[in-house]
Formats: sequence, structure tokens, C-alpha cells
Amino acid sequence: MAIVERPTTDGTLALEAGPRHASPDDALGVFKRPQGDTGWRSWLFTVDHKRIGIMYGAAALFFFLIGGIEALVIRTQLAAPDQDLISADLYNQMFTMHGVTMIFLVVMPIGAAFMNYLIPLQIGARDVAFPRINAFSFWVYLFGGLFFNTSWFLGGGPDGGWFAYAPNTSVVFSPSHGMDFYAIGIQIVGFGTLAGAVNLIATCLNMRAPGMTLMKMPVFTWMSLVTQFLLLFAMPVISVALFLLTFDRIFDANFFNVAAGADPLLWEHLFWIFGHPEVYIMIMPAFGVVSEIIPVFSRKPIFGYEFMVFSGIAIGFMGWGVWAHHMFASGMGPISVAAFAVSTMFIAVPTGVKILNWIATMWGGKLTFTTPMLFSIGLVTMFTIGGLSGVSHAVAPSDTQQTDTYYIVAHFHYVLFGGALFAFVGGFYFWWPKAFGYLLRETLGKWHFWLMLLGFNLTFGPMHVLGLEGMPRRTHSYFAGYGFDLWNLVATVGAFIIALSFLVFFWNIFVSWRDTKKVGWVPPGPDPWDARSIEWMTASPTPTHNFDHIPVVTHRDEFWYRKYGETDDHRIVRIASSEEVAQTGTRTGVHLPAPSYWPILLCASLPLIGYGLIFNMGLTIAGGVVLLLALYGWAQEPADDPDGGHHDDHGALPEPGHDPQDAAATPAAAGDADKEATLVD
Amino acid sequence: MHRFRSAVGTVRVRRAGLLALLGLLVAGCGGRDTRPQTTFDAEGPAADTILGLTNLTLIMAAVVFVLVEFGVLWVAWRFRARKDDDPEALPEQLHGNTKLEIGWTALPAVVLAFLAVFTVSAVLDLAEDPGEEATRIRVVGNQWWWSYDYDIDGDGVYADDDVNQRGIEKPEEYETDIEVANEMVIPAGRPVYLEIESRDVIHSFWIPALNGKKDAVPGRTHYLSMEADEPGTFIGQCTEYCGLSHAYMRMVVHALPPAEYDAWVQDQLAPAAEPETPEEAAGLEVFQGRCATCHLVEGVNGEDFDGAAQVSGAAPNLTHFASRGSFAGSIFQQWRDADGSEAVEWDEIGGELNRNQLEAWLRNPPGEKYMAPDDERGMPNLGLSEAEIDSLVAYLTSLD
Repeated sequence: MAIVERPTTDGTLALEAGPRHASPDDALGVFKRPQGDTGWRSWLFTVDHKRIGIMYGAAALFFFLIGGIEALVIRTQLAAPDQDLISADLYNQMFTMHGVTMIFLVVMPIGAAFMNYLIPLQIGARDVAFPRINAFSFWVYLFGGLFFNTSWFLGGGPDGGWFAYAPNTSVVFSPSHGMDFYAIGIQIVGFGTLAGAVNLIATCLNMRAPGMTLMKMPVFTWMSLVTQFLLLFAMPVISVALFLLTFDRIFDANFFNVAAGADPLLWEHLFWIFGHPEVYIMIMPAFGVVSEIIPVFSRKPIFGYEFMVFSGIAIGFMGWGVWAHHMFASGMGPISVAAFAVSTMFIAVPTGVKILNWIATMWGGKLTFTTPMLFSIGLVTMFTIGGLSGVSHAVAPSDTQQTDTYYIVAHFHYVLFGGALFAFVGGFYFWWPKAFGYLLRETLGKWHFWLMLLGFNLTFGPMHVLGLEGMPRRTHSYFAGYGFDLWNLVATVGAFIIALSFLVFFWNIFVSWRDTKKVGWVPPGPDPWDARSIEWMTASPTPTHNFDHIPVVTHRDEFWYRKYGETDDHRIVRIASSEEVAQTGTRTGVHLPAPSYWPILLCASLPLIGYGLIFNMGLTIAGGVVLLLALYGWAQEPADDPDGGHHDDHGALPEPGHDPQDAAATPAAAGDADKEATLVD
Repeated sequence: MHRFRSAVGTVRVRRAGLLALLGLLVAGCGGRDTRPQTTFDAEGPAADTILGLTNLTLIMAAVVFVLVEFGVLWVAWRFRARKDDDPEALPEQLHGNTKLEIGWTALPAVVLAFLAVFTVSAVLDLAEDPGEEATRIRVVGNQWWWSYDYDIDGDGVYADDDVNQRGIEKPEEYETDIEVANEMVIPAGRPVYLEIESRDVIHSFWIPALNGKKDAVPGRTHYLSMEADEPGTFIGQCTEYCGLSHAYMRMVVHALPPAEYDAWVQDQLAPAAEPETPEEAAGLEVFQGRCATCHLVEGVNGEDFDGAAQVSGAAPNLTHFASRGSFAGSIFQQWRDADGSEAVEWDEIGGELNRNQLEAWLRNPPGEKYMAPDDERGMPNLGLSEAEIDSLVAYLTSLD
């Protein structure tokens, strides 16, 4: 298990042969690396994982507003039978855009926001393994998402559904440019996701603090690691499928042309081999989030850490063997159907383990129902419903009655909204003080929770009934007299209650921020929740350099073990206050990677190439030139700005920590982190 | 014998009890009249097998649901922090219990294995070919309507093979097969075996009362058994997203007593009715001039008809148009639905004509149903005059 222990600092990993810093004579040395921590430029060119995480979150919430408005349009259209508020064509674009936006531009990026922000902090690192690639991942996502959404203004959005079954997506059946935006837009976003996967896997495996073995990593980081492995293998599959679709649509290829002998089931298989792991990609970080929150507010450690970790890994593996349960009606034959039915049933086992372990974590605890805890219990209860309806899909004959009805819509919203989104919103409330230095108001948070819970169940609960009563999905309208009227109206009312709950959320962010400007406002300190993992061991908001000195880890829940100890008669008592244990955020002798112009410039070239493929090849060539220049500039960029000074005295010894253990280890640890950050960048 | 019967009775009673429970959830609580597309009303053996399995699954899910949800709420209530708690006193820091965890890993696995046995056996049962005596019907999806071909003479060739595969020689037995659109007619109490295909994009054929759905994938043939226990009219809807008018692609199945079914077959084998009135004759002329480039009326288009100017190459065969209850993807009722059951039942066909709807359709089809006629997907506005529409209606409604 060499990989478990952090390499010692004897320099074997360091590439000492090359010059430590680039000289001003280096190629493109005229482009100095940008400097400074303030102003809008510092955000555009940042490589700081925390700023990138915050930008991921902000961009995802922006797209969430767009996707949410699309959802409200859909629900308004369906509030009553035979309505014609929007045309069938516009409706088809709406549900396609809603699905793609919520999946690729909201849920996955919110997961990325938490992973970017938290993984380095939870493992005691200064940044991710490849900070510039991290910036690239974010900008490629933002530009890809904006590119995709500009389809609304350039001839209409995609209308083939997020699943985009061939041959309905071919030019013959979808003549607008919408599906081009779909194929190229998701492709662009996918580049960033794939790069992010490599980055975060390398971070988890290589950048853990001394003593932070894999089996001491917080559950959130573990679930994120599994997620990143899923992404690493799933994204190439959808990339290939999207390339085939792009070639079909733009260069008249015949990959999905039935008349030329293609089999449309090829797309279905490619899509779902990506598409099912994708489901776990969206939910696993959420599982991680609640696995952090529930222990804190139960004042107990997570129950069965090993089972939590290994059930996550099991889901990661089994997630690759269940994709065809999306295709039980596709006509793939009874043997395949039977095999995938059985494999799908058994993936419920590790998922069930997680639910029971969360309940066991609460068992015997002292539960305080703060907003993050309420949202976490929201996940446990709501995801259970989605899990149970998921098992009913595994019963393949039943599924042939349920698939492509609203029962499925109910199911995956209970999983992705009731699961992922509840957890992520809880995560926002939980880590908000760590990221921004102020707490969100509890009363408004509880209003948010109860409104969201009510609205969510009113919206998606009735859809179980609608589906079982025979209402198909993806229909722009339905007839009166089928018994669909009442439950559709209820669902629409629920959707607007969800919208209201998010207005409360945004209002809460604003007023809580405004509170910080008032006289007498007290900052929450490093550890407002009496938390357990080491991201709470540094100041709030997290200083740029994360830790004044890298902590040496001896336990799971390292922070908690520094605050609490056991007496001789096995009583647990507090041995130190949070403020005593936590670091102050004073930066001494810490060397961080400098910002960079190149990631954002490189990403800006990709939409250009995309527009060019759709409208004018000249633009593609222009974009390609920008891309090559940006790549060249990136490759030639000096590791540090040759003229840039350091923020502090580089030679000074780091300030000793409170913990004698840390003090002993600090010079080596800090030096090591310094070296790595410089070299890998 | 008595024991056997009572066992069946118990199952029925249990099922009725469950349905009543679910009925509480379902608005209207009525039968198929108010919930015509429900999956809880099995009217054939395949649907019955599925419903049994669905009920079993739902009962098991309901038990787990109650245990987990109330478990969570109870744990949350029981272990809540109280005001008089010592804030410094921590609960026991329990890290896990391996035996317990192995237990709650194994138990769901056993429960699911139980369900898996029933599932796999049902999957294999439902996939069985009913054999030679089954009525074979080819079901073909088109944007946005269904056509049904009957191989009446049993030679393995269908009436519209030439349309599906352009260029092949039109078979001699042309007149001995049937091709209908929108509404499928089957014999009740006899097995039917469907061969499901598509001429353009993927569709899905679904009559919830008779069986689960099966996708119609272009270039492939998928098989689905279907049998109605009793005569009746069953409706369904395309359930694979198929583009613009996906919501308006519906189907109707009439299950007839076998004798009536045989009579229907004979009627359908007959050539189209000749016009009997001057109005109908004028309608035939309009048809020949405006409609016959896409729509087939046996004996009118003649031998040189080789498919519609559509991406799918097909448009509804109108030879016996008036013998159907609905048109335009079964979204419009051709005859008045006297009992308001959302479907034109067999005995209502040929009753009171739903004239306004038919005229509106002929006046401007894309105004009545979302279609893309400019891309050859759906019926264009032919700009017919009111006089042409009147005579066309007279002609079409004479095609019984």
C-alpha cells in the first residue's frame, strides 16, 4: 500500500534537474503571470481551488435559475389538459433544455463546486494537483454551458430530449441547429469534466497530508474519488457518441442512418453506458455531503465508515453493469432483459446499506435540527422513495408498463432532486460560513427547507400516480378525461412552491450577507458547528493558502480528536476549544501557484470552434488558431512570474502550530507542499 | 376443485383490496371509463402477469417505505437534543457494528433475490412465441400514426412490403392481405403476435390494458404477445419520444368476438366502396386529384402507387376509412363517442359522424395537429375549397 502513505520528502519526486524558476528570457516570457488577490481579474485568472469552487457554485446556480424557469414553463403548460400556451416544438425544446441544463450544468457542477472547494481542505492540501487544469475545467464548463444556451437565440434549442435517441436527432427529423448545439455543447462541457476527473483523482491519491491514509479520508472525499473514477471512464463514452452524432449531422456521416444499415440501438447502448454511471456521478457527491453533515449534528462519528466507503466503491463498480435497464422496452431480447433486471436489483443493496448507516449514525446521538441537518434528513427520506421506485424499475415486466411514463419522471426527480439537490442545498448551508465567513440565517433556512420539502413532494409525488395511470413523458399536452387533470394541477402548484423556496434561499444569502455589515456582527469563527474534519481547522473564510501549516493526521475526524479526549473512566470530554485548535490563517513561508491567463483564453476558443462547425468553418479555423496559441502559451508559461516577488519572506521558518506533533512535522510538510505546488503547476 | 377455486378467490380479494388502496390515491377512483390508460386494469393474460408482479413489488416497496420513513422520523424524534442536556456531554462515540452491517447488507439481498426469481420467470414467460395459431399482425410506427398489416393468407408477405422496401416486386397476393391505419382490430380470447417495426424514428407501442410497451425501432422487428380476455376497446399512446407530435400519436385496439372479427376481415379484404351519389363521385374526383399521391384507396390508386411523399414513405391507407373510430393518429374521433368514454367503441362506429372535426382537419391539417409537412413529415394544407371538403367528406364516409 505504498500509495496510502504520503511520500517522504527526500526529494525523489522533485524534478530537480530543471531550473527552479523560469528566467525572463524564456519563450513567451513577455507574458508575465498575473498577480494579485483582488479585483475581477483575480477571479478570471485564478487557479485557487476555492475560488474555482465558488465560481462553479455560482455558475451552477445561474444555470439552475434558467433550468428552473424552463421547468416552470413546462409545468404551466401542463397545469390543465389540452393547453396550448407554448407550441409542441417549443415544449420539446423546453424539456430537452431543462434536462440537459439540470444534469450537465447544474447538478454535476454543484458537485464539482463542493469537490473543488473541499477535497484539498479535507485532505490537508494547499490546492489540487493541477491548478491551471482546474481553472480550465471550470471555464470550459461555463463557456460550454453558455454556448449551449445561446441556441435559444440562434434558431431554437435542441428538441431531441437529453437522451437524444437516434435517428430522431438526425438532420432529417431535427432540422434546426438545436441538436448541433446539444452535441457540441455537451462535448465541450465534457472536456472539462474529464480533465477535472484526472485532476481530482491525482489530488486525492497524491496530495494528502502526512498521516492522511486513504482510510482516514472523510467520506465526502471518498465518494468524490469514486465519482471521479466514474467520470474518467464514463465521459469518453459519451464523447464518442457525441462525436458520431456531430459527424452525422454536420458531415453527413451514417453512424445512425438506418437507411445505410445503422442500428439505432447503438446510440441507446452508448448513451446509457454513459448515462447510468452518470446517475451515480450525480448522487455520490451528495451521499458524501450528508455523510459529513449527519455525524456533526448527531455528535457521533459516521456509523460503519468502512461500509460507507466500500458500499460507495461497490456502487461505482456495479453502476457499470446496469445501463440496459433503461432499455427494457427497446426490444433487446429476454436474456439481456433478465440479466440487467437482476443486476439492477442488486445495486439497491449497497445503496440500502448507506441509508441504514445514516440512520444508525443518528441512532443514539444528540440530534440538533439545524438547516443542514434538516436537508440531510430530507435526502435520507426522499432518496429512499426514489430508491424504492428504482427497484420497481428493476422488475423488468413492470417496467414495460412504467417506462417512459411520469412514474419515471417521479423516480428520477426523487433521486436527483430529493437526493442530490437536497444534499447540496444542505451542503451550502453547512459550508457557507467556511467559504464566506458568515452563517446563513437559521429561521429563513428552515422556511427554505419546509417549503422545498412541501413543494417537492407536491410536484413529484403525484407523478407516481400519473405514470401508473398511463400518462407518458415528453408529451406537450394531454387530453381531458384520462384522470390526469387533478394531479397535474397539484404538480404545477408544487413547482411554484419550489420556486418560492429558492427565492427564500437567495433572500437568505442576501440578508445574511447584509447582517455582516451591521455593527456588532460576530463572525462565526473557524468552527461554527463543532465539526469533525480538518477543513474546519482553518480560519473562516478559508485563507488563500488553506493551512498555515499542513496538519499531521493521526485519526479519522482529526479535528474532533484534537478537541475531544477520553478520560480514564471512558468519559469523553472536551480538551481544547475550536479556537485553540484551529489555525489562525496567517500566511508565512507558503508558496502558491501564480494565476494564469491561459486557461480562460484556451476555453474561449472552444465555443468559437463550435459556432464555426454549425455556421461557418472560418470561425472554426479562427477558434483553432486561438486554441493552438493558448496551448503554446500555456506550455511555455513560466512556473512563476519571473519578476513577481513573494508575498512574504520565503526563507523564514513557519510559525509553530499549537500541536507539538504539527510543530515537529511542519517544516518538512510545508516545504513539501511548496515544492509540489510549484512543480506541478 | 373447491380448494383451487377458493385459492384463486383469495388472490382476487387481495388484489381487489390493494387496488382499493391505490384507488384512494387515484383521482376519480373510477374504472376504465375515467382512467382509460391506467396500468391497474389488466384485460389480458400478459397484462395480468405484469400486474401481479407490479402489485407484489409495490407491496414490498410499501413495507420498506413505512419501515424506513417512520424509522428515520422515530430515530430523529427519539434522539433529539433536549434543552436540559449538558452541552458538553457527548453521546457514546459508536463507530459501527460489523455484524449488524453484514446483516443489513444480506437481508435486502435475500429479499431482492426473491423478487428476482419472479421477475426472471415473468420475463421469460412474456417472451414466449404463442405459436402458429396466433393471429400475426405487423405494427408499424410512422410520424405520428400507426399502421397495421394483416398477413391473412399466411404467406409471410404483407400488403405494404413494397412501401417498406421500395423497389421490391409487388406480390401477387396483394389482394389477400389487409392494411389498416390508426386502429387495430383483434379477435378476443385468441392470442395475437405483433411484429413491431418503424418507418422513421423510434416509437413505442403500448396498450396498457393488454401488455407492456415495446419499442418500434427502424430497421428492426420486435415481437410482442397480446391477447384480450373479453371483447372491448382499449386505448394507448406512443411512449417513445418521436418528435414534434409525440403527444398526438395514439392507438386504439378493438377486440371483437371471433365471429365478428372474421366478418371484419372479410369486409376489409373487399375493395373500396364505389361512389353511390353525385356528391360521393365528386369526392372521389377530389381524392384522385389531391389525396391519391399519398393515400391509398384500394382500386382507386391502381397499380402504379408506390408510397407517399413522406420521409416514412407511407400515409394512412384509407380503403375502409369509415370503418374506423378515429383518425389522424387516433387523436380525433370520427364518430361521436356516445358514452363519453374517451374512445369510440365498436358499436359507435358508423353512428353519428363527427363532421366538424373531419372538415376542420381537411381544411388545414397542420392547424389541427402539430406536423412538419414542409419536411415531408405529416399532412400539408392542401388548400381545399369548402365544396371540395364537403364532397370529400361524403366520399370518405362512404368508404365503410
